[in-house]
Amino acid sequence: MKTKNKAMIVIFLAPAVFLYTMVFLYPTIRTVIMSFFKVEGVTDAVSTWKFNGMGNFKTLFNTPLFVSALQNIGLIWLVGGIGVMLVSLLFGVILTSGVHGKSFFRSVIYLPNVISAVAMGTMWINYVYNPDFGLINSTLKGLGFKNAAAQWTGPELVFWSMLIAYCFGMVGYHMLIWMSGIERIPTDFYEAATIEGANVFQRFSKITLPLLKGVCRTNIVLWTVSTMAFFVWSQLFSPVNLSASTVTPMSYMYELVFGASSSAITVRDSGAGAAIGVILTMVVIVVFMFTQLIVRHDDVEL
Amino acid sequence: MKKKLFSLMAIVLTCAMVLGGCGGAAQSAAPAPAASGAASKSDAKSDVTITYYSMWNETEPQGQTIAQAVDAFKEKTGITVDVNWQGRDIRKTLQPALDAGQDIDLFDEDVERVNGTWGKYLLNVEDLAAKSYDTTNGKPLTDVINKKLVDLARSLGPDGKLSTIPYQPSTFLVMYNKDIFKTAGITAVPKTWEEWLAACAKIKAAGKTPITVDDAYMASLFGYHMARLIGKDKTLAMVTNKKIDDPAVLTFGEQWKEMYDKGYISKNAAGNIYPAGQQEVASGNVAMYLNGTWLPNEIKNSAPADFNWGSFAYPAVGKGGDGPEANQYGAQCFGINKNTKHAEEAFKFIVFMTTGEWDNKLAADSIGVPMANDATWPKQLTDAKAVLDATTTRYPWAVGMENEADINAKIKTNFALLVSGKLDAKGFADAMKK
Repeated sequence: MKTKNKAMIVIFLAPAVFLYTMVFLYPTIRTVIMSFFKVEGVTDAVSTWKFNGMGNFKTLFNTPLFVSALQNIGLIWLVGGIGVMLVSLLFGVILTSGVHGKSFFRSVIYLPNVISAVAMGTMWINYVYNPDFGLINSTLKGLGFKNAAAQWTGPELVFWSMLIAYCFGMVGYHMLIWMSGIERIPTDFYEAATIEGANVFQRFSKITLPLLKGVCRTNIVLWTVSTMAFFVWSQLFSPVNLSASTVTPMSYMYELVFGASSSAITVRDSGAGAAIGVILTMVVIVVFMFTQLIVRHDDVEL
Repeated sequence: MKKKLFSLMAIVLTCAMVLGGCGGAAQSAAPAPAASGAASKSDAKSDVTITYYSMWNETEPQGQTIAQAVDAFKEKTGITVDVNWQGRDIRKTLQPALDAGQDIDLFDEDVERVNGTWGKYLLNVEDLAAKSYDTTNGKPLTDVINKKLVDLARSLGPDGKLSTIPYQPSTFLVMYNKDIFKTAGITAVPKTWEEWLAACAKIKAAGKTPITVDDAYMASLFGYHMARLIGKDKTLAMVTNKKIDDPAVLTFGEQWKEMYDKGYISKNAAGNIYPAGQQEVASGNVAMYLNGTWLPNEIKNSAPADFNWGSFAYPAVGKGGDGPEANQYGAQCFGINKNTKHAEEAFKFIVFMTTGEWDNKLAADSIGVPMANDATWPKQLTDAKAVLDATTTRYPWAVGMENEADINAKIKTNFALLVSGKLDAKGFADAMKK
C-alpha cells in the first residue's frame, strides 16, 4: 500500500474510531468490569470499587423482584413476539397483495411507532383502560356485556394490558420489514404458480414463507433487542415504584443505579445494575447465534 | 437548475443561522451594561454569582416563585443566583456533576436524600445558622424557623451536624373533603377505628365513596395501619427482618376486607395507577385520602377552586399501636457544596427563601407549608398545622415499607387483590408471609 494512502486512511478513520472507542467501547468494557465489583454510584472513582466476583449475579437471582422481571421479559418476548410477528406478517401480506390505499394503510399502521411511547402509554392507561369512562368498558357496556367490564389495570390483568398496548405500537415497525422482504421476491414465482393453479394459501406457504427466512431472522433479532430494552412502558404502568407484574430487568436496573423515586431508599447498587446489563446482553447474543444457526443466508432462492 | 436552487437554499439557511447566533449574542451583551449601571448606583452590593441546581421545574409553582425571588434577591443584594432547573432528574444528575468538579454552590432535594445520598458533599452550616439576619429580628435563624424540621435535618446530617436548611415541609395524614363530611352529617373527625367505620358508613349513605388509594401510596397505607396496630418499632422490625409475619397482619387483612365488603373503599382502588387515586378526590367522588399536605397543590388544576380541604391524623386502631401523635413528616432542604467559594452568599439566599416575605409567598403559591414560625399557613392546611404541632413521634416514609423494593411490590400486589375481593384476610396474611 502506498504511504500516502495509508496516512489518509488513518487520518480519516481516526476521529470515527476515537469517538467509537470513547462513547461505545469504553463504557461497555467498564460496565462489564463493574458487574464483578461492589460499586455504589455510577460515577464513583475506581479506587472505591470492592471486588465481588459473581456476588452481584448471585444476589440478583435471589431477589424475587428480579426473578419476576425475568419472567415478565420472557413472556413479553415469547407471547408478545409470536403475536406481533403473526399480526405484522398478516398485514404485510395483505398490503403487498395489491389492495387499494396501500400507502394510506401503511402510514396508519406505522403511526403508533412514530408517536412517543409516553403519549401512547398515557392514552392507553387514562383513556382505553379507564374503568369508568374508558374505551373498552364503555364499548362493552354499550353492547350489553356489563359483566365483562373488568379492572384492566388491576393486579391480575395489568401485565397483559401493558403487553397489548406495547404490541399495538410495534406491529407497524415489523410490518414494514416484512413488506420489504416480500417485495424482494420476484413476481415471476407468483405468476408461474398462479398459472399452475396454486391458490392464495399455497402461494403463501410454498413461495412467500420459505423466501422470508432471512427477513424472519432480522425481525426476531430486532424484536429481541427492543424487548430487552423494555423500560418506558414498564415505568408508565407503575410510575412511582416497581410492581411485580410490570417490572422488567431494565426498569429494575434503573432503580438500582439511580435510586428509587422514594427518598426513603437512598441505597444504590450500580454493580448489580451493571450485572443486569451484562445478563441482557448475553441473552441478545444467545438469541442472535441461535437464529444464525437456523437461517444461514437470506438470498431470495428457493 | 435544481443544483443552483439547492445551493441557494443552503446559503440562505447558513446566513439565517449565523445572523440568529449574532443577534442572540448582541441581545445578551445589551442588558449587561444596564445591570452594571444599576449596581454602580447602589453601594456595598456584592456582584457575586452563585450557581443553584434546583429540583424544581421552571413551570411549576415553586419554580415560578423561586424565579421571582431570584430577581428580588438580586435587586436587594446584587448577588446573582444562576438557577439550573434540573427538575426531579436532579437525583440522577447532581452527583455526577459534583464528582466532575462542576461549580455548584447550592442545591436542594428531599431532606433524607440530600443528607443520606449526598452527605459527603455538604458544608456544615451550624455556624451560619446560628447567626442572625435582617429577616430574623436579631435572633439566630434556627430560632425563627420550624424547630421540628431543623432537629430532623440535624439528626439526618453527617455526624449529626446541621448541614442542610429544610424548607417546603410536608406531613402525611388523612386529607379530606369538608363538604362531603358536612353533607354526610359528620360533626367530628374520627379518632379511633370504630369512629372511622361509623364515619365511612355515613359517607356511603350520602352517596359518596369514603376512601381510595393508588399504587404509589399502598405501601404507606399498609405501614401506617400496621404501626397503628403494633407500634412503629415492631413495624420497622418486620422490614429489617424482611419478613411481614406479625400476627397483626391478619387483623389488617380482616379490617380492610371489611372496608371492601361494605363498599367503603373505591371500586377502582385496586387498579388505580398514580395519579388516578388523587383524581378521584379531585372529582368530588371520594371523601378521604391518606396522603400528604402537598395534595391540594397537586390536584389544584383538576379540583374545583373552592374545594374545602381538611385534614386529620390517621386514627388509632389497636391498643398496642400508636395514636394520632405519630405521623410522618419531612421536607425538602437546601444544601451548600462544601467546596463553594461563596458560602455566605448562598446562605443569605437560603435565609431569603425560608423567612419573611418570600417564605410566605412560596407557601401561598405552592399551597405548601411555610418555614417561619410566625408565617400564616394556607387555609387548606390549617388543620394540618395542629396535627404537625401535636406530633411527638416521627414515622419514616411509609413507616419503612418502601425501603425494600421486594416488600413494596408484595404489598402492592396483595393489597390490590384484598380490596378487589380476590383475597380474604387469611389469604392476604399468608401471601405477605411468603
